Amino acid sequence: MNKSESIKATRATGPKYWRSLDHLADAPEFRKWVDHEFPSGAEAVTDPVTRRNFMKLMSASFLFAGLGMSGCRRPEEKVIPFARQPLDYVHGKAKYFASAMPTRTGAIPVLVKQDDGRPTKIEGNDSHPDSNGGTNAFAQASILNLYDPDRATRFARNGDSADREAALDAIRKVADAATAKRGRGLHILADHAESPTRDRMRDRLLKQLPEARWYEYEAIDHDVHRRAATAAFGHSVKPYYKLDEAEVILTLDCDFIGSEEESTLLMSKFAKGRKIDPEHPKMSRLYSVEALFTLTGAAADHRLRLPASAVHRVAAEIAAKVLSDPHFEKPEMAAVKSALVAHGGAAGVDSGWISGCADDLKRHAGKCVVIAGQGQPEATHLIAHALNAALGNIGKTVELTPVPARKGGSLGDLVTALKSSEVDSLVILGGNPAYDAPADLDLVNAMEDAGEVIRLGYYEDETAPKQGWNIPAAHYLESWGDARTADGTLTPVQPLLAPLFGGMTQIELLARLANDAVFAPYDLVQETFSGEIGGRNENAWKRFLHDGYLADSAKPALDRVRLMADRVASAVRAASKLPVVGGNDYEVVFYPDSKVDDGRYNNNGWLQETPDPITKLTWDNAVLMSPATANKLGLDNMKGYRDGVHNKLYKESDGEVADFHDGEHNYAERGEFHPEVVELAFGGRKIQGPAWVVPGMADNVFGVALGYGRICPYPNTGGTGRVGGETGFNAYKLRGSDSLKHAVGVKVSRTGEKYQLASTQEHGTIDGRSLIREMNFDKFADKDSEYADFAKGMNMPHPPGMEELPSHGLAYQNPLDELRKNATHSWGMAIDMNSCLGCNACALACQSENNVPIVGKDQVTRGREMSWLRMDRYFSGDVNNPQMSHQVMVCQHCEAAPCENVCPVNATTHDDEGLNLMIYNRCVGTRYCSNNCPYKVRRFNYFDYNRRPLDDLYNTPANPWNRKDGEWELTRWVKDRSKGSIDDDQWDLLALVRNPSVSVRMRGVMEKCTYCIQRIEGAKIAQKVKAGASGNVEVPDGTIKTACQQACPAEAIAFGNIDDPESRVSKLKAQARDYDLLDYLATRPRTTYLGRVRNPNPDMPDYRDTPETFKEWKDHGNHLAHHGHGHGDDHGHDSDHGHDDDHGKEHGETAGKGGHH
Amino acid sequence: MSDHAPAIKLEAPPVELERERLVSNNRDLGEISDQICDVMERSTPLWWKICMVPALLLLSMLGAMVAYLVTVGVGVWGNQHPVMWGWAIINFVWWIGIGHAGTLISAILFLLRQKWRTSINRASEAMTIFAVMCAGVYPLIHVGRIWYGWWLFPIPNSNDIWPQFRSPLMWDVFAVSTYFTVSVLFWYMGLIPDLAVMRDRCKKWLGKFAYGLFSLGWTGSNRHWRNYEKAYLILAGLSTPLVLSVHSIVSLDFAVSQLPGWHTTIFPPYFVAGAVFSGFGMVLTLLIPLRTVCKLQDIITVRHIELCCKVTLTTGCIVGYAYFMEVFIAWYSGSSYEKYAFWNRAFGPYWWGYWAMIGCNVVVPQFFWFKSVRTNLWVVFFLSILVNVGMWFERFVIVVTTLAREFIPANWGYFNPSPVDIMTYLGTFGLFFTMFLLFLRFLPMIAISEVKAVVPQADPHHPLGGAEEGGHH
Repeated sequence: MNKSESIKATRATGPKYWRSLDHLADAPEFRKWVDHEFPSGAEAVTDPVTRRNFMKLMSASFLFAGLGMSGCRRPEEKVIPFARQPLDYVHGKAKYFASAMPTRTGAIPVLVKQDDGRPTKIEGNDSHPDSNGGTNAFAQASILNLYDPDRATRFARNGDSADREAALDAIRKVADAATAKRGRGLHILADHAESPTRDRMRDRLLKQLPEARWYEYEAIDHDVHRRAATAAFGHSVKPYYKLDEAEVILTLDCDFIGSEEESTLLMSKFAKGRKIDPEHPKMSRLYSVEALFTLTGAAADHRLRLPASAVHRVAAEIAAKVLSDPHFEKPEMAAVKSALVAHGGAAGVDSGWISGCADDLKRHAGKCVVIAGQGQPEATHLIAHALNAALGNIGKTVELTPVPARKGGSLGDLVTALKSSEVDSLVILGGNPAYDAPADLDLVNAMEDAGEVIRLGYYEDETAPKQGWNIPAAHYLESWGDARTADGTLTPVQPLLAPLFGGMTQIELLARLANDAVFAPYDLVQETFSGEIGGRNENAWKRFLHDGYLADSAKPALDRVRLMADRVASAVRAASKLPVVGGNDYEVVFYPDSKVDDGRYNNNGWLQETPDPITKLTWDNAVLMSPATANKLGLDNMKGYRDGVHNKLYKESDGEVADFHDGEHNYAERGEFHPEVVELAFGGRKIQGPAWVVPGMADNVFGVALGYGRICPYPNTGGTGRVGGETGFNAYKLRGSDSLKHAVGVKVSRTGEKYQLASTQEHGTIDGRSLIREMNFDKFADKDSEYADFAKGMNMPHPPGMEELPSHGLAYQNPLDELRKNATHSWGMAIDMNSCLGCNACALACQSENNVPIVGKDQVTRGREMSWLRMDRYFSGDVNNPQMSHQVMVCQHCEAAPCENVCPVNATTHDDEGLNLMIYNRCVGTRYCSNNCPYKVRRFNYFDYNRRPLDDLYNTPANPWNRKDGEWELTRWVKDRSKGSIDDDQWDLLALVRNPSVSVRMRGVMEKCTYCIQRIEGAKIAQKVKAGASGNVEVPDGTIKTACQQACPAEAIAFGNIDDPESRVSKLKAQARDYDLLDYLATRPRTTYLGRVRNPNPDMPDYRDTPETFKEWKDHGNHLAHHGHGHGDDHGHDSDHGHDDDHGKEHGETAGKGGHH
Repeated sequence: MSDHAPAIKLEAPPVELERERLVSNNRDLGEISDQICDVMERSTPLWWKICMVPALLLLSMLGAMVAYLVTVGVGVWGNQHPVMWGWAIINFVWWIGIGHAGTLISAILFLLRQKWRTSINRASEAMTIFAVMCAGVYPLIHVGRIWYGWWLFPIPNSNDIWPQFRSPLMWDVFAVSTYFTVSVLFWYMGLIPDLAVMRDRCKKWLGKFAYGLFSLGWTGSNRHWRNYEKAYLILAGLSTPLVLSVHSIVSLDFAVSQLPGWHTTIFPPYFVAGAVFSGFGMVLTLLIPLRTVCKLQDIITVRHIELCCKVTLTTGCIVGYAYFMEVFIAWYSGSSYEKYAFWNRAFGPYWWGYWAMIGCNVVVPQFFWFKSVRTNLWVVFFLSILVNVGMWFERFVIVVTTLAREFIPANWGYFNPSPVDIMTYLGTFGLFFTMFLLFLRFLPMIAISEVKAVVPQADPHHPLGGAEEGGHH
């Protein structure tokens, strides 16, 4: 109750709604406001001559600032609808604006959908030169952060609400004091950003105040790419990896699908190189060396699991192998070579793996990429660059893009300055260093030595100063700004709405600190833009904002670069002293979480509830470890989980694996996970977290996700917020300056306590079922082999005597087939599992588009998460080194849908275009449809998830003690039944994030993927309008993109009209790899999958003849059949006929080999 | 047995050849009336009061649980993804199953001229009706939006949307409501002569009025009896297919779906057999204590108990056969999904449920081969409870094990009931026993007229028959 009151108190400080600009301008509060906001413009307002012009000029800023201070809500007076409608306004029609989500190293270009003045959905900007329209999970979910009720909603001094005016005064005071001393005593700590305007503001400030100090800090070291490239090549550059042009890719602990900042771009390029043209099949090969099991490891054709501290040794070995080859031996690299040879290898690594990989790289010199990850020390990156240089990749697959050099000191320098009391005023721009700084720096205590602290932060979190100012930061959807994407293209950041809580941007604060006359972010960004194009040009500016990028502003890659061999050699030599985990040591790898990143998304419910792609955990982090490590620690309670991922077929192959099969203690499969909590100790620091086994992780390694364990679950008290509070444990507490990426020599002990985790997937193996269909590239590409048709060959054979049924084995005619003949479209979807990398962008896009609610940890443990789109994850093969496969699961829109005929009230029916419709209004909630759905894609609203606080789900509104906003819930409900029982302040914000085109479902109603029917209908209506009398109402291919498809950076999802043979989806479905999931049920799904192809190298020691899922399927007694002709054990030879018929002459002599079983 | 019997009377068969009488101790017709009516006419017995307290408490718990469910949501149950049907459907099918014995006894055994049915049919029919009431609670409350439950009925509404007639849940609505209606009619029909007896015996005006009202002016005239017998025969004929249809249709809820373990053609007969099995189990559970506390050992004899045991044994064997056949067909189908479903039932995480089912439904009835067991009422009572437990587990195994693990392993889950599940189930016992205790107190629990018809005294040709020996009152 306290929290909501305090929020309201805060809001009351803003001015009330004003009716006209003049009305506002005459108010005394306004005068005061102008005086603070626009010190240089204050006279203009009182001067009647210039006043008019001034008003015109500043009206945009007024709009933002005025609305902002009065909170997000619409005016409470009745407003008459437009007497004259603004020209570009169509009620109910969404607008799209090009913008960009700034990241630490660049930006993700986006198009933001705006409904009636509020942003509701983020899409990628596919016209941007460095984007294919893909985004990532963070970009999709970032919109929820905008409407986070727990974000900083007020200007706070010493933790108490204060006026904006007072804050501006405080800033001016700091600025004045700094000016007087040429900046001495002013210390600024900023997060990383690739914003030309911020760089400009920084430079301007430092020019005006030359003795001011600038520091930059990020918890996750994405800057290592730039640092290492700059060190390696002697220019300020960062690498730009053209993975699409590489035929062989070696990643050195680089999770470019997950934890790299530019993952969206890298994924899109990687997936492009993996796309298989059925006519000329060709795909790249990925080698991955990694400690944790990451998505990149899952995508890899060869994966070497190795502690993170040993990766640079393997890298050195591979590099030494390459450089020792006379073909690549260059005199200028001699120093590097000798350093690499002297470096020494990693213990226990199969030399065959090293030489196999090195040979493959050598064979593809100039067409390969070696890429090191952010979790690796600079030395690994330098070795990668040496390899790329030696193999001639630089300028081909690896481009070096010039970037402005980063200036300023480190966090350690700041702490030193703080301790020596040099800091009169400390300005913190973004970030949350008090939470994520290395534990040994003790920044929180050091900050107390600062004179004045001004902090611009998105939350009133750990860094919010107890003595000093916390200024609310604007969300990027509320800010003017700019950024350079990875290729250097200048990209605008446009606001979609006025700051909901009067937030400020970094550039504005910097301008104010420099006492600049111009500090409106809009002007600042435009100034930068004008500088970039060499002069002010309104049209170019408008074009820039419209397109979302400045054409041809990409920085040309440096073409004449030379590796600074000596520098690399000395770095390698220095790196040989780095500790490497061995024998009985343990290593902790700190990695940015797939959901909360470094903690910045901790209060984002969508992300918190998205299952981690590997562990499938929600709402928590855990101490990840390999099965062998868990065994070594004797963590018996993990047996159940290990059983869940264990495949009994393989237990004979490995004695250790056999231990895992223990049905007696099958905890995981009882639906709950209560792993034991272990304690990790390093450098005198300790953390505790629940143990979680991930098959395939490197042994003796603990993977610990950063970003959890936030304190104080309530806003305005120094914590993260109500959603993310009390989730997981804080791994930063273990991380010191010397162990930012991984810590070697960690002590581990068991505590005996249990902690409940919520995982969305209890069973990790596929049990030999043909759900995932995979083949090796060489077998698949051989058109003569039976494997070329593996996907359909894995269909369940028809029973003897029943082969002659219609193509899908239907025994009766589906009445919908008649309807289909008259329909304009037949919607269908194809999902290419060879492209899908499991990144979760689609899942978040679906959640955002379709108003999918979150249910909270407790409900997830009961399996009640609402995700319409889920990512199934399977392990196959040896539990110590398995293969991982992902499968996106959406409604399959079956033509013979099992859900439809069992609904007693006709709430789910079929339309003539093949959509399996769900009519929420008609649903009474028998849940029979879900039971009969073989894909289990239907989700049920067990509670009023949309209208009740998650901690209050079990409370009946009839409970007389149950009061919300001081009123009995039942009375409140009677008064406004649409509202639910969420506190007003949260309700208003949460309502804003919803997509108005999609109904919000109440409790007791079933829901599921609709193929984004709102988008389909929107496109159909638009086409009808366009068609006019022509009657051409067929929506052209590519017009409709489902939310998941749009978000997918790998372009794995295709949607469209399957009756149009030229549509992309039809072409995908026509490929041999296309298959129906659970074909034998003859549900005739409209969603089909394209089998995955793995591309292992036969020369490698870990070469697997066929993918493990295929082997498992075969070991379950299955055989490849030829499509249309099933054959069991009893008539295997029949298939030879089928063979010859299908492939004709070219089949020739291999028919016998392939067809027999 | 007297050797100077009148010529028109047949010789009584030798003692060793005579069947055991359906009413023991040679009670005459008047004594039968007195014995049965005594339960209603004497002052409220202590055991009744003692039983009524927990029954009412449980009934109010049911009310509270339903109110909680309706105001909060189905989430208060253990129900989850993928097991979207939990205890609600298990208990629905279980109660419906129990509701089978009554109508079977009164209709099918009537048509088959099984005279021993007369002592137990009234109470069994009452049990049927109350069990169907308990069952009927569940389909209504298990839906997500209870206030729209009426959409399942084919009522034309302003939207002009009819129910989906292809849905087995729709069929359930018809099957269960028809069964309930006919069962109530049949039961009431049989009650009329006895209500008249009560009316005639009743001393209090209220009872006289009420019994009089419901006995519909029964005078026992020949014409009344003839109409009664015809109507009874017709209703028995109508009820007989319903006994078979209702559980067949309930089984179609599962068989029509396409999940491994549900999609089997054996379900209709197997469900009916299971229902009769559980129904007789419940009859035994109820009657064994009742005959003692109501002092009706003469009318509900050990022979009745034995016969019920035999029916239980027969249907138990049918059920056991069905279990075996399911497994065989799963293997024979060649479908790995089917095979896994049954392997999973027996050896998966719910193995205990499966073996509890096999133990109680297949092994337990085998004891009824032995007369010593059948006649030991303590043992029969205990075993009859096990039969009911076993049948509950059967429904649990069918509903939960299949849903928890079917096609896609990533979906697999584990169902745990919530306390609300358990308390709602216990609450339905409150409803059942409240109704049953009221029945015992206010209606003749044994069909007086029918029992009289099967005693020798009622047979004018029997040595014991005739007015002089105490017959023909």
